[in-house]
Amino acid sequence: MNNISRAEQKRLLNRAPQFDDGFYSLRSAPRLPRTMVKEARTVVALARKFTETVIRPYTLELDRTLQQDPGFLPWEFVKKANEWGLYSMWIPKLFGGKGYSIPTLSLFLEETSRECLAMSNLIGVHYLGIGTLFSTWNIRLINEILTDVVAGENNGEPALVSLAHTEPGAGTDLEETELMDKATVTCLAEKVPGGYKLNGTKVFISNGHLSKWHMTTSFQDPDHPSSRAVILVVKTGSEGFSFGRKEHKMGQKGCPASELIFKDCFVPDCYVGTDFSQFKSLKREMTPSVSQLIDYIVATSRAGVAAWGVGAARGALEDAMAFARETEVDGKLLVNHEWVQIRLAEMHKNVSLARLSYLETNYANGLEGMFKIIQSKPVYYMLKMTPHWVVDRFMAPLLSGKQMTRTFRYLQMDRQTDAQIARTTGWASLAKVSGTDAGIRNCHLALEIMGQAGLRHDRRTEKILRDAKLLQIYEGTNQLNRLNIFKSLVGRNIPEIEIFAHE
Amino acid sequence: MIAVKDKELKMLDKAASEFAKKQLAPEREENDKFPFGPFFSDVLSKAFELDFFHVVLPESLDGMNQGMAALSVILDNICREDSSLGGIIFTNAAAQQVMMEAGATDLLGGIVSADSVNDFLIGFPVFNNPAEVAHLAEARPDGDGYSLSGRLEYMVLGGIASHCLVPARIAGQDEYSFFLVNAKDNRMTVSDPVLSLGLRACPAVDIDFNGSRATLVGKAGDGDACFTAMADRLHVAAAAMAAGVMKGSFNEAFGYSKERFQGGQAIINWSEMKMMLSNMAIAIENADMILATAVSAVDNRTPGWERCSRAAALQIQESACELTTDGVQALGGVGYMKDFGQEKRFRDAKHIQALLGIAPMKRIKYIESLIK
Repeated sequence: MNNISRAEQKRLLNRAPQFDDGFYSLRSAPRLPRTMVKEARTVVALARKFTETVIRPYTLELDRTLQQDPGFLPWEFVKKANEWGLYSMWIPKLFGGKGYSIPTLSLFLEETSRECLAMSNLIGVHYLGIGTLFSTWNIRLINEILTDVVAGENNGEPALVSLAHTEPGAGTDLEETELMDKATVTCLAEKVPGGYKLNGTKVFISNGHLSKWHMTTSFQDPDHPSSRAVILVVKTGSEGFSFGRKEHKMGQKGCPASELIFKDCFVPDCYVGTDFSQFKSLKREMTPSVSQLIDYIVATSRAGVAAWGVGAARGALEDAMAFARETEVDGKLLVNHEWVQIRLAEMHKNVSLARLSYLETNYANGLEGMFKIIQSKPVYYMLKMTPHWVVDRFMAPLLSGKQMTRTFRYLQMDRQTDAQIARTTGWASLAKVSGTDAGIRNCHLALEIMGQAGLRHDRRTEKILRDAKLLQIYEGTNQLNRLNIFKSLVGRNIPEIEIFAHE
Repeated sequence: MIAVKDKELKMLDKAASEFAKKQLAPEREENDKFPFGPFFSDVLSKAFELDFFHVVLPESLDGMNQGMAALSVILDNICREDSSLGGIIFTNAAAQQVMMEAGATDLLGGIVSADSVNDFLIGFPVFNNPAEVAHLAEARPDGDGYSLSGRLEYMVLGGIASHCLVPARIAGQDEYSFFLVNAKDNRMTVSDPVLSLGLRACPAVDIDFNGSRATLVGKAGDGDACFTAMADRLHVAAAAMAAGVMKGSFNEAFGYSKERFQGGQAIINWSEMKMMLSNMAIAIENADMILATAVSAVDNRTPGWERCSRAAALQIQESACELTTDGVQALGGVGYMKDFGQEKRFRDAKHIQALLGIAPMKRIKYIESLIK
């Protein structure tokens, strides 16, 4: 009875829900480089030091300054983060960075955002731009931009990277190719000799005003955007490119949401991340390739947003705990009221479970997504142990060749199966929804416990609520992410399923 | 809903609605900049001229004596557009009610006979139940009155009102009492307006009393009884504020969903958006029914009206927090921006939930009232 053949086991495990749809941490455990745990400890400790030294003293002041002067830009903080080396910390050593493994970025974002989501965004959004750059697997361009980021760190002139994706008439529409082709896109790229001419507007671009490089999505054919998508890298100061308004947001005020305006902005071929001509060499057609590229980006970025949600949930818990320990109600400390203890436990539960969901997503990306190559033991240890001068002298020159781009695109894109794309993006959506909902839920619970005190800016908790609400909206609304969970995990293998069908 | 059958209430309903749309809605974003922008004194004066502050006062105090129904109709309409003014009206009504419950009508009469709104207003720490606060200010007998010392946090309308109603403990007594303090008394230090989550144009300040001259309101030690009696009545008005915020949030979400396109069609045509809007509409319908019942119970003093008033507030305030979260969500990114009203309603709803004390404690007190 207990015997089971390999074939039978395979058949049973491929039944829905497939074994591989879950259990990422279990599957990852034997493959993880041991030193990743040490790295994680180092990163969390550094995050705590940075939070205590730089973020905490500035949290309320920055938010208040922005309420008073919405046009203020937090250059001083960006320079400080640059000095701490935070803008190259998760850039692979191959490209001159410090080479911390990318999953530890989530831990850093959680730690820093528990104090201030806006300042954590000022760091994390840079890696959203870099993640987009990586998703093109255009190794020559990746090398050029990241080398400049590292140089900016060395010369004290921060060179941040942003992602310019949302348009005035298309936000959620641009997160899924099924919606993209029905959207009203206006940021258009026209092929001209030597490059592209870019026209249009991008809105709500996090860190826009503060970034030097802008990963800009654009379209050659407004009637079929997904079949002719182009990713261009636009440098601040380029002719035809200017900043428009800076949005007045409810929260996350320290992190600017910018309007980017392109008027006949010429982008040379060397700054084309990817376009139809480059996608032609891939196994998949253009539209599925664009979909895969989007999924690459969001499978990692949504884990980061989930970490921010967890950070907000932690901040709210910590504030509520501090208040409950210092406040007497009905003759005893609030923390000794049973109803408060239950609520604080509930908040802790929300934090812990939401964290597990983004950790699981990181494992998924390590096994089947963006970190697959770089987190494999041979590559991981080679990059860790190879001296910088060896990387610079012998490995870096290879990055300019087309062969390297072809190799990475083959390994990362062509070899990623449809199931792996679905699983990684599905888990990322699950984490995003779990983390951000936990953030909002904990803020509500904290404010209810704190009553009048929670309403005050100088107690910080109301700021966490204002900041956290954006997490349920950007990187795809939580409604869209729930649909992605359904599409990618729940209904993936059901043939009659239709997603985004008009009703 | 409350005003359907009553002609006078219908007129008030219309007046408040027009006032909110014409005076509050166009300048909502600007008014919300306070304390970093100007205070909306003109709007406040216009509301005063329309007698929005007089509806609950008895005729003997030149009031309209229209009860909680009238106050709720006004607050419901005003809070659809901007809850800050609602917060001012509510706070003032709460202070007036405490003084009436204490039998201090002469004292109150001297204030409400004022011709200007600032002289008429009474500051009150309306987000706290003083019985739940461990360290209140202390009052000591001083001649024919008292002198106050200590600190009071979050005195709502402090800085704009002519007087403040202060809960304090008389030295040597366990129970607290209410005291009236003239805001011009130079023996108190008033902070700048406290930057807050919501209701930003309903200013609050912290006050340090350094021997401030104070007049006892009602009997010594009767503070909790007066506060409880006031809260029994005013909870229903807090519920009306929350209901107003819900309606404002729904109206904006509904309008936007018909205009914004996504995936090639107006977003209202996506069934999840229909579900979200439907949940909002149903919550509002239920809030209106609860509110109508509670207002009637309070004004007619039907048996159990106190619990009815409190239950309405707890239910509708919580509902408003949930609904306004969806109200932002329905607009996506722009719902988070100050150009639209949704983000303010989201903040205001949470602020309103804290009126008259810590929300979970109010639930515990509710069941304790049944146990007794």
